[in-house]
Amino acid sequence: MQGKKNCQLVEVFKTEQGIVYQCNRQNMFCLEFSGVSSFFKITDFLDFIKKVNKIDIEAMASSTSPGSDIAILMPHYTERCFVLTMTDVLKLRELLSGAKFMLQLNSMIFQCLSNPVS
Amino acid sequence: MKDLLRLRTSLTEEIEALLNEQIKIEAYSSAVYLAMSSWCNRNGYDNSASYLEKQSYEEREHMMKIFRFVNDMGGRAVSPEITNIPQEFESFRGVFELALQQEIHVSSKINNIADRCFKAKDYMTFQFIQWFLKEQIEEEYVARRILELFDVIGEEGTGRWQIDKNIPKVTYGEEAGEE
Ligand SMILES: [Fe+2]
Ligand SMILES: [Fe+2]
Repeated sequence: MQGKKNCQLVEVFKTEQGIVYQCNRQNMFCLEFSGVSSFFKITDFLDFIKKVNKIDIEAMASSTSPGSDIAILMPHYTERCFVLTMTDVLKLRELLSGAKFMLQLNSMIFQCLSNPVS
Repeated sequence: MKDLLRLRTSLTEEIEALLNEQIKIEAYSSAVYLAMSSWCNRNGYDNSASYLEKQSYEEREHMMKIFRFVNDMGGRAVSPEITNIPQEFESFRGVFELALQQEIHVSSKINNIADRCFKAKDYMTFQFIQWFLKEQIEEEYVARRILELFDVIGEEGTGRWQIDKNIPKVTYGEEAGEE
């Protein structure tokens, strides 16, 4: 896992539960969630967002079998194992979708800046 | 803030997803043509069997073309999961009716990609997809012409044998000189 020392972290999005940074030096994303930070390559981060969005919250809520009220994500690209309660999932989604929106907005701004309307 | 999304790829999430969907559709086409080939083979339509096998191979090429494009652009091409391949067909004619339907479906999917590229101002992918638009003109033409053989020759008597013999000969006019 990448050390923080080579990083040049810029905040992308922040909620009460966590922060998403991007590292402009290593072209990576850093997710700080419930006190732990994990680094992701660009593609992996986007994939991670997809995985979190795919968690079936309804199934978690309706199932009565033990352990079904938590979701476990262990993507091969991080060493971290995310053990998430339903609230965690919702909070993580909020953080990630906010971050994604900011990234897309940033992209759009770049596009506009390279083609200014004269 | 540095634009990391663009650094990775010029494909938007939407276009990348559409292209991956198309990879799957081409893979499905390839698998269906192969199943049709097998059906024709066991029912004695040898020429059609080898024609359909060749079609199946072409569809895989289509799939690979998109697959490579997505990866070359920095996207993530997904090796598709294909299920529900029909193995039995109603009739000889039914095989080719289904083939035409599948080609029409593919055309509409490709059209949609072109449309989405245009709207997203993704002219790189728009340019890439042109080849497929042209290809679909040919694919639909050939599938339609083959189906017409069933009416022109008629299925009675040695009709089906005649049809089977003529199927591999159907080609799209412009193509003859090109390939
Ligand atoms: Fe195709
Ligand atoms: Fe085709």
